[in-house]
Amino acid sequence: MANKRKTFLLIWVLTAVGCLFVFLKYASPKIFQVLMAKDHPMPMPSTLMMWYMIMGVLAGLVYATTSNQKFADFLSFLLPGSGSLIKSFLQKMLFVGFPVLVGWFVYTWAIPGAASPVELRIQHPTLPQDFEKLENPLRQKDEETQRKSIEEGKILFQTYCRPCHGSKADGNGPFANSFRLRPINFQDPGTIATVVDNYLFWRIKEGAPGLPSEATPWDSAMPSWKDDLKDDEIWMIIMGEYDTAGVMPRQREKLE
Amino acid sequence: MIKAFKKGLIGFGLIGVGICFFWLCGEVSAQSSHLFRTYKHEVPQKLQETPEAVAEGKKVYEKRCWYCHGIEGKGDGPASKTMFPKPRNFTRNEYKVRSTTLGSVPTDEDLFRIITSGIEGTAMPFWNTISETERWQVIFYVKTFNEQFMKDVTAKVVSVVSIASTPESVKRGQELFKETKCYECHGEDGRGNGPLTVALQTEWNMPYRARDLTKGWNFKGGNTIEDIYRTISTGFNETPMGSYLEKLSDEDRWHVAHFVKSLAKDMASDVVVKVKLCENDQLPTESSDENWSKATAVEVPLAGQIIATPRHWAPSIDAIMIKALYNKSEIAFLLEWDDSTNKQEEIFRDAVSLQFPTKIPESLKKPYFAMGDSGGTVNLWSWKAYWHEGFGAVVEAPENESGSVIEMNAKGFKSVTIQPSESQNVTGTGIYQNGRWKVVLKRTLKTEDAKGDMQFEIGKLIPVAFAVWDGSNSDVGGQKSVSSWYYVSLEKPVPKTVFAYVLIAIIMGASVEMWFIARLRRFPPKLEEE
Ligand code: HEC
Ligand code: HEC
Ligand code: HEC
Repeated sequence: MANKRKTFLLIWVLTAVGCLFVFLKYASPKIFQVLMAKDHPMPMPSTLMMWYMIMGVLAGLVYATTSNQKFADFLSFLLPGSGSLIKSFLQKMLFVGFPVLVGWFVYTWAIPGAASPVELRIQHPTLPQDFEKLENPLRQKDEETQRKSIEEGKILFQTYCRPCHGSKADGNGPFANSFRLRPINFQDPGTIATVVDNYLFWRIKEGAPGLPSEATPWDSAMPSWKDDLKDDEIWMIIMGEYDTAGVMPRQREKLE
Repeated sequence: MIKAFKKGLIGFGLIGVGICFFWLCGEVSAQSSHLFRTYKHEVPQKLQETPEAVAEGKKVYEKRCWYCHGIEGKGDGPASKTMFPKPRNFTRNEYKVRSTTLGSVPTDEDLFRIITSGIEGTAMPFWNTISETERWQVIFYVKTFNEQFMKDVTAKVVSVVSIASTPESVKRGQELFKETKCYECHGEDGRGNGPLTVALQTEWNMPYRARDLTKGWNFKGGNTIEDIYRTISTGFNETPMGSYLEKLSDEDRWHVAHFVKSLAKDMASDVVVKVKLCENDQLPTESSDENWSKATAVEVPLAGQIIATPRHWAPSIDAIMIKALYNKSEIAFLLEWDDSTNKQEEIFRDAVSLQFPTKIPESLKKPYFAMGDSGGTVNLWSWKAYWHEGFGAVVEAPENESGSVIEMNAKGFKSVTIQPSESQNVTGTGIYQNGRWKVVLKRTLKTEDAKGDMQFEIGKLIPVAFAVWDGSNSDVGGQKSVSSWYYVSLEKPVPKTVFAYVLIAIIMGASVEMWFIARLRRFPPKLEEE
């Protein structure tokens, strides 16, 4: 048995790499679907997949070269052997398979596939100067007024922002699917929880047209609300928005 | 010896990995993310219905539900202004998704399922984000709004046992769909365009729209065969969708359900519309042309235009299908979308428009996706259904009237200009059949007007966006359904040289392999003494 494992080391390594591919490609989307309680499989992004595959191949090579004995076993598979049927069959497969694989790589490379769009963007560009100094006037008010503003802000949020950002501020409104640059999920700790009130004030007031080009304003459906909402309504919405999403604005660094 | 081999092998490995890198990079593509809700069937063990649970439920309700459903459960919460359909009024028995007979209230499990799943296309979110306990509690509270929950203690539940679909069953279902007059509301092809729906909508101004049964993702009560069977058996309370429990035998209801299931499709969405080369020289001018079957269809979800005033909170068109073909000199687009009515008024008309930038973008930068902006002009190809003049006339566009096409340029929705007549070079025809508009738009690949028109190039990614208007929904101007930027790409035909490359690669691969093995056999790896 041990002997067999030795002679087939090369095949085992190849099989392991193959299994890794099958796992990443077909099994992991299902597993992530269950783990993250999603309605749809979550395919692995191909760049990530590529890195895992690279690591898999390297791990295989490293394993095969850990000792000279192993390495000799690894290569000896390619030598004309004791003539076990399986071995000579697999050998032939390997000899034919390698050039075919190379040919296939070149083919997929050379056919004029439709180029795929690259849409890189920065979600949080720097806040324009005009907005830097602003303070949310409502945060200074007494508790009762604050509570009222939150309630009012929540209702305004539900009325105007819900179709895109969703009633739970989770970016799942009924219109969200139609915008390829999806409306932001505010519950995600990487979004509004990383900025402060006046940043949101800027985004809500100026919308997509106010964004600099590194944030691809041309793809963003975020409306500019400056003609429709008064400043104090926007401050209320901001408070309601944080409350609906259940996150807090970033704490301001104390200025000495 | 063995050391040299080791090095060589690792080197080869790295080269191989490098090749994989490039190859996989080509595959990275912008995905369109669709998270359509699905009706979830699983129900966990029910909680005890105690006064404490109801009191807890009140808290949940007054935190999460009241602003839509109203503090008294009347469906008139302060946020319901921009919602169509309106939130459920819990004081009436208007429950739609039930396993109980028409007119009865739903079971607690029914409520659990619908609250967990949410309702696609409406404001009702999915609440699997709150704990199961909270969901049961809020259900107990919601039930207190309507006394009928106390009276109907023994709810008559319609049992569902699945029966496999056969072609005969689907065929029989189709006949029954006619015989039982489903088509009067749902239309012959199930697109929700039956004469009764049209009358309800346009003459009586009722908010009811029969479901477009071809859009499987929009089924409120789920689109599995058991769900459809249940819907047909129980109906939706207080809507025109009645119960067929009495009118049809159990078997017949299965047949109809199988037929409905055969109509319901998933959305075939993609980011890039691949435009195939049409080898024979003529491009189709009619939507009925057989050549269209060669093109791959892409479906795009549409949203109401709520980016600028006047905002459109209640669009009636939520998807459009696109196909495209090109030849040496021309490109043709087929645009199809479901619209339950064909009613044209002077300003309210069914229409569609394609939007391109005026230049193929060299960098990431594009004009603004909604009608361009001061930094980027867009080229619009806009088709409008036929309307026959006459004060206040409402007409149906007949099949032999193809509608009109105009080409425009826009730099933002406030500065739209119609191109001069010598630059009007898009032609088009539209036809309304069985609840679906089919519009063909055609132009030469290049035009004289290089400043105002998109000049198509093979192999490039060309941004495109879509807009649709439904006249009977009072859509006009900015009141429309819109999409964000997608792309069209004119496919390059596969060059013959590819096969030569592949051959060379195989020969090279084989020689490297042979050389490697020959070397290996000449100097077999032997263990060096250590
Ligand atoms: C038409 C759909 C739409 C509506 C309506 C809408 N948004 Fe947005 N919003 C978006 C999209 C898409 C983005 C992501 C792109 C971007 O950042 O511009 C976004 C981004 C944002 C961001 C930036 C979040 C971040 O972390 O960078 C804020 C804040 C925001 N929206 C608030 C609001 C508020 C408040 C309202 C209601 C008054 C609203 N939005 C209404 C589509 C919409
Ligand atoms: C953003 C607004 C909104 C919120 C928040 C909301 N709903 Fe709804 N709900 C709706 C709308 C709109 C409908 C009607 C959809 C339709 O008619 O298709 C609805 C329908 C329902 C229905 C009826 C389903 C049926 O079969 O007829 C129930 C039950 C319900 N909601 C429960 C709740 C509960 C419980 C909560 C709180 C946890 C809640 N909703 C929160 C908007 C909302
Ligand atoms: C009088 C008009 C009318 C007739 C007749 C009618 N329907 Fe409907 N149907 C509707 C309406 C309206 C809706 C949408 C209800 C809503 O969403 O509020 C609907 C919805 C549906 C749905 C979708 C349910 C869901 O989960 O969203 C199905 C399936 C359906 N009908 C099947 C049928 C079948 C099968 C027949 C014939 C046996 C039929 N209908 C007859 C008006 C009708």
